[in-house]
Amino acid sequence: MLILQRKPGESVLIGDEIEVTVVSVETGGRVRLAISAPKSLTILRNELRGAMDANKEAAREEASPLALLELLPRQGDPETKK
Amino acid sequence: MELTTKYFGQIAYEAGDVLYFKDGLFGFEEETQFLLLPFADSNGTLLCFQSVTTPGLAFVAMNPFSLKQNYAPRLRPAELKAMGVTQSEELSFYVLCVVRQPVSESTVNLKCPVAVNEDTGTAMQTILEDGGYEMRHRLSEFQEGQSSC
Repeated sequence: MLILQRKPGESVLIGDEIEVTVVSVETGGRVRLAISAPKSLTILRNELRGAMDANKEAAREEASPLALLELLPRQGDPETKK
Repeated sequence: MELTTKYFGQIAYEAGDVLYFKDGLFGFEEETQFLLLPFADSNGTLLCFQSVTTPGLAFVAMNPFSLKQNYAPRLRPAELKAMGVTQSEELSFYVLCVVRQPVSESTVNLKCPVAVNEDTGTAMQTILEDGGYEMRHRLSEFQEGQSSC
């Protein structure tokens, strides 16, 4: 894996057509990136891929949803801490 | 209007019952209209998002606050604007559930809740950045009082 250091305003090139520029580094560690790439390429935040996979799992349940009721905390009895 | 559903057979509904997801759900972007239907005997904690256009598509959902009282989803400013509110507390939240066999392996996705504006019927699914929530919390985490996640 290639690891590079870049400052805001600096960029890296991937192949001939993809440019990733660091726009800013915000407090809390968040980094804003600008990505310039051909329209044919799909760019996803990787947690979006995870969210799509999680939804696909959720769409095909393996058991009756009603079985979940046994697992839920009892209603009207929220304080069960000892 | 009538609709064939995944869990409840044929049901009647009104246009005002429909929730509109402008961008669909993640991975189901073309599915933009759902009904939120509660399962009987669940006290409103167990529900499902039934697709209006695809009878066989329904997502089992839960009231996250019944699992975790201190659940605190925060939408980004642009998301709040799209939902027509100024703060997250004005919205209802539901989390999608993966029902597993055995059922004790079932999980809920606290990181990607569905937010609903009950007044307008506008809804969206989001990915929370903060709060340390995961996409697969086992339901058994929540059985003994409050978890610390």
